[in-house]
Amino acid sequence: MNHSHPSENELQQYALGISDSNPDVIAHIESCPDCQAEISAYQMLFSEIKIQPSASFDFDVQELVLSKLPKANTGLSTDDIIAGFLVIFTCSCIGIPVYIFRKIILDSLIDIPPFFIYSIVIGTTGILITKILYLYKKFIRQMHFLNIN
Amino acid sequence: MNHTTANNPADKHLVDRVLRGDTRAFGVIIKNTENLVAQIVFKFVPVAEDRKDLAQDIYMKVFHNLAGFKFQSKLSTWIARIAYNSCLSWIEKKKLVLPGNLHENEEMYETTPAMMYYHSSFENNAENNLSQKELSDILRREIEGLPAIYQTLITLFHHESMTYEELSQITGLPEGTVKSSLFRARKMLKENLLSKYLKETL
Repeated sequence: MNHSHPSENELQQYALGISDSNPDVIAHIESCPDCQAEISAYQMLFSEIKIQPSASFDFDVQELVLSKLPKANTGLSTDDIIAGFLVIFTCSCIGIPVYIFRKIILDSLIDIPPFFIYSIVIGTTGILITKILYLYKKFIRQMHFLNIN
Repeated sequence: MNHTTANNPADKHLVDRVLRGDTRAFGVIIKNTENLVAQIVFKFVPVAEDRKDLAQDIYMKVFHNLAGFKFQSKLSTWIARIAYNSCLSWIEKKKLVLPGNLHENEEMYETTPAMMYYHSSFENNAENNLSQKELSDILRREIEGLPAIYQTLITLFHHESMTYEELSQITGLPEGTVKSSLFRARKMLKENLLSKYLKETL
């Protein structure tokens, strides 16, 4: 049997029931009154900690937080309906005259030089790409802000 | 306690529901984890009003970052980590100094021969001389007197049955540091309790 007392760490591990000490140390603990007293003190400490009352908030955390969250979209808002009406109205204003005067429009397009048409297509595409890139960068900045805060 | 269960389909289902816009599911997450968050917040923040602000701040962070949670740890552990980091940020923001560091005054807690003498009779006589409530009150005060990090580790390990690995994930400290901090904290508590018992009985 080992006559020197185990370390404080070994005593704690033993009291926790997770001792991986060698059999000599365990044999010493089980036969030594001083070590047994240490173990008892630790076990009493651990059981006392377990029965300590839990901390709890004295306000309704759910209510506090949920009131700050954005509400889930469950239906169409008035703004959505107005926006939808405007889109349909605008499409109608453009689409109906285009449909009615389609022959005249097609005839007039034949006379336009190809270079002019290409310039319009390339210019429009360039503006669209610039706008999309700007919106994407703005989105990334906002996501970064949310993650940090 | 919900945080002791492994990441289960219920947690994943809750997170999916929150990400789809169901705020009631977030309410369930709050209900499941608010006690754990309280255990951490109470160790660092003494003022009730500040705790309210901090709790709100913690759960707003959880909500906004939930899409980035990859289930590499338990949901409760991840939320506890956010709570722990928020407490540290709060202390930094308020320019507060934590009471004591990890190794402060260790020599104060060395066992003296007189304490050893009382030590052996502590268990047998404690119940006679100190009621359960008195003992519990002394222990509560002693825990409150520990540095906040020790309080947190002791409570989460012994009261909430968290593992060293989970504590390491929450605090960001290496597992070895968590173990040695817990060892020192338990030793401090034991010696402080013995010292108190010594005063009570003399």
